[in-house]
Amino acid sequence: MIALDGIRKLHLDPVQPPVFDGISLRIAEGETCGLCGPGASGKSLLLKIICGLVRPEHGTVEVAGRDLGLASPDELRSIQSRIGYLFQNNALFDSMTVQENVAFPLRQRLRLGQEALDEQQILARVSESLRGVGLATHAAKMPSQLSGGQRKRVALARAVVARPPLLIYDEPTAGLDPVTTAKIYDLLGTEQKLTKSTTLIVSSDIDALRRFSDRMLMVYRGRLCYDGPSADMDESASPVVRQFVRGELEGPL
Amino acid sequence: MKSQRALTSWAASLRTQATQLGQIAMLVCVGAVRARRPKGELLRQLYQVGNRSLLFVLVTLGFTGMVLVFQSCLQLSRVTGDLSQVGGEFIKYLVHEFGPSLTAMMLATRVGAGIAAEIGSMVVTEQVDALRMCGVEPVEYLLVPRFLATLAMTLLLAVFGVLSAVMMGAFTAHQTFHVPYSVFLDLSKVKLPDVLTGCIKALSYGAAIPIVSGFCGLRTHGGSEGVGWATTRAVVSSSFAVIVLDFLISALALLSWQSM
Repeated sequence: MIALDGIRKLHLDPVQPPVFDGISLRIAEGETCGLCGPGASGKSLLLKIICGLVRPEHGTVEVAGRDLGLASPDELRSIQSRIGYLFQNNALFDSMTVQENVAFPLRQRLRLGQEALDEQQILARVSESLRGVGLATHAAKMPSQLSGGQRKRVALARAVVARPPLLIYDEPTAGLDPVTTAKIYDLLGTEQKLTKSTTLIVSSDIDALRRFSDRMLMVYRGRLCYDGPSADMDESASPVVRQFVRGELEGPL
Repeated sequence: MKSQRALTSWAASLRTQATQLGQIAMLVCVGAVRARRPKGELLRQLYQVGNRSLLFVLVTLGFTGMVLVFQSCLQLSRVTGDLSQVGGEFIKYLVHEFGPSLTAMMLATRVGAGIAAEIGSMVVTEQVDALRMCGVEPVEYLLVPRFLATLAMTLLLAVFGVLSAVMMGAFTAHQTFHVPYSVFLDLSKVKLPDVLTGCIKALSYGAAIPIVSGFCGLRTHGGSEGVGWATTRAVVSSSFAVIVLDFLISALALLSWQSM
């Protein structure tokens, strides 16, 4: 589903070392991967590179067998519209209601000829999606009228409404209380079971992330320092990974 | 050596920016032809650009017209005392130069700043990336309706602005120097080339302001401070574009119409 080969991305400040220096990885269809790493290690940037929002200086990115670097603008838009992306800051459209926000990907897919839904079917799908995140009664509200957790759930509904084959979640629970965090992970799990989508998730909540993901990836100093089963992370040979997972003060981090 | 390196880097950055501006202009033109705009957005933008700027343009051009006519009459009354030509010359100048250019300068501050701030804040809150992830080209979705609205409304507002300046000028000449309205409102000096030049200028400014401002907005980075900088850059660059276009179109018009 996703194949990265030799990704190198330079830092905006040329004096700094590159953000990524030769990252290669493969994520198979239907896999659930968690991506972690210390702050400012480039986790969100890696997600944006996978989606074609940011181009690396070197290396290739393939999504669903298509090289994003060689794709025409129309092809790239078509690939991107098949990825459900939950942004770190939700990125809800301020000028649209909750319902319009969630309906937006469906309407665009309809415009691109990727969906054959009429307006009634779109509204039904939006209602279903909003019911799924427990916000069916908030459809007419503007994003500014919602709490942080509610905004996150609307963003989640928007990411999954088109049932995309690839789902990417960037910090889906950042800044949320433990109950809302549990609810969000429950929703992610339900969605994953329902659609069998390939899922890549970035989170600083390492315990919740390991419970949710089959496979864990960790980036540190521009390289992948861990790529393996979630359960084996504690016993990793790398002291960086062990210290990060255990949250210890002493160590190389 | 250091200054040479800085100069090379500045030139490279300028070249990159010029290329990006050209690409955006191209995308806007293609998008305007493809007509894949969100429903109702063009009407909303026509209202935002046109109706909401009308009073601002009428008042600014009205007052500027009053000041210009008063100063012209004052100087002429001291030198020749003949004020019969003031109205005709003022209207001619207003139609081909002053009306469209001053209207565009007003729109560069009001509309240009608005476009850059709106798009810039969408960039820093990742809404532009969210548009891309829904398969939408942000330039086409955000900029094309603003481009078409500004294109149409700059011309229309320039017409209203000219009318406001003429009326306020005639009123000033009549009240302060007793120039009869029938003498001041002399349209015989306004020829077709003047009207054409004015229209071409208004349309060119109307195209340049949203493209330059949108470019500044899309290049925003660094949070709310970045939005502030993008807005400032948009106003300065749009105003600069208006002045450069004014010079170029005036020069071309002078060469073209004179040779006719």
